[in-house]
Amino acid sequence: MTEKIYKLGKYTPADSMSDLICNNYPMLLVLSRFGISLGFGEKTIREVCHQNNVDEQTFLAVVNLLISSNREENQDFGNRSIQCLLDYLHNSHSYFLDFRLPSIRQKLLSALDIHHDNATKAIIRFYDLYVEQVHTHMEYEETTVFPYVRSLLSGIKRGDYNIRVFCRQHDNIESKLSELKNILIKYYPPGNADELNSVLFDIFACASDLASHNFIEDNLFVPMISQLELNVKKL
Amino acid sequence: MSKKIRVAIAEPSEILRAGIIDVLKRINALDIYIIEIADMNQLECVLCKYTPDLFIINPTVTEPRLTGKVRTLCGNNKMKSVALLHSLADSHTLEHYDDSVSIYDSAEQIRNKIIKLFDVDQHKDIPKELSKREKDIIVEVVKGLTNKQIADKLFISVHTVMTHRKNIAAKLQIHSPSGLTIYAILNNLVDL
Repeated sequence: MTEKIYKLGKYTPADSMSDLICNNYPMLLVLSRFGISLGFGEKTIREVCHQNNVDEQTFLAVVNLLISSNREENQDFGNRSIQCLLDYLHNSHSYFLDFRLPSIRQKLLSALDIHHDNATKAIIRFYDLYVEQVHTHMEYEETTVFPYVRSLLSGIKRGDYNIRVFCRQHDNIESKLSELKNILIKYYPPGNADELNSVLFDIFACASDLASHNFIEDNLFVPMISQLELNVKKL
Repeated sequence: MSKKIRVAIAEPSEILRAGIIDVLKRINALDIYIIEIADMNQLECVLCKYTPDLFIINPTVTEPRLTGKVRTLCGNNKMKSVALLHSLADSHTLEHYDDSVSIYDSAEQIRNKIIKLFDVDQHKDIPKELSKREKDIIVEVVKGLTNKQIADKLFISVHTVMTHRKNIAAKLQIHSPSGLTIYAILNNLVDL
């Protein structure tokens, strides 16, 4: 077992932001998606959130859910939290589509050996098809789900859609990326090990980021919106 | 590969129960479902209701013949029982159980005992190497042929083609035609 010190229980507003990040470096991604930049010194989570105009409840819900994988039951979120989570998810989409996935493509191209020209073409084609699927997946959320949620936030419940529809269609998008990683590990001929390793590390990390992203959507976003649907109906 | 195993844990101590469950969680190859029993008065009733595959019990809290009794009572003859030992126990008590684990056993030891009890041979899986026929199928898939076209070309039924494709996916863990294309090129099955 790897020895690692970890905090027992959840992070609270009074904990220091730098402790959170240093003990859980994947939370760096969460920071930037909430629009929080580094350089917060000794400030607490509450102070940093306040300073950056981020809803602290939403921030902690995301962080604690990602770290512990357990959802806090019966947590009541207001409209401000939902708006904040929408921004977070949107930023997360642009991170994958505009930064992460293109950068992996770039690295793949330079890691793959020119001597295996056909294989390289097939791998890039596989990758491009995959990226297109991710685009479609996230585009659907941006153009259908998020506008639906915004209209709910303004008190309008449209009859033709509800969040359960999203829930049913929401498939895991990282599995095909893992497939690529398996193919490279199992069958790619010896060559430029350092570059190939580096892109494999990126693919592993990206697959797990995508899984976390989906996890937040399924376990925080969906329950929040179901609750909002109920509240709007009551009006 | 993973087989569903329902495990009932009868142990009044919450700390020990939580500990056992945490250790079971670390056993990756198995798909484990937990039934916790804290109150020994409900033992028979819970065991009959959930018909577990494996029953882990602290032997000091019940009579040794309980396992046999439950097996006949609910017709769950296949249920295995394992004694959870906090300290040394005499062989007379233990002969009523299929096996025993000590609270000082490592996750690895517990895993091996469970695997032995359920005869989950992880290497019994279909051979991982592709057959000649499966390679033929891959070549046709890579060319873009439909299952129907492949069936006609190789003089086999569409159903057989689908079975082959399922086995290929299981062996290689590659599910898409574009993934198979990469495989085929890297393994010199095709020359595009």
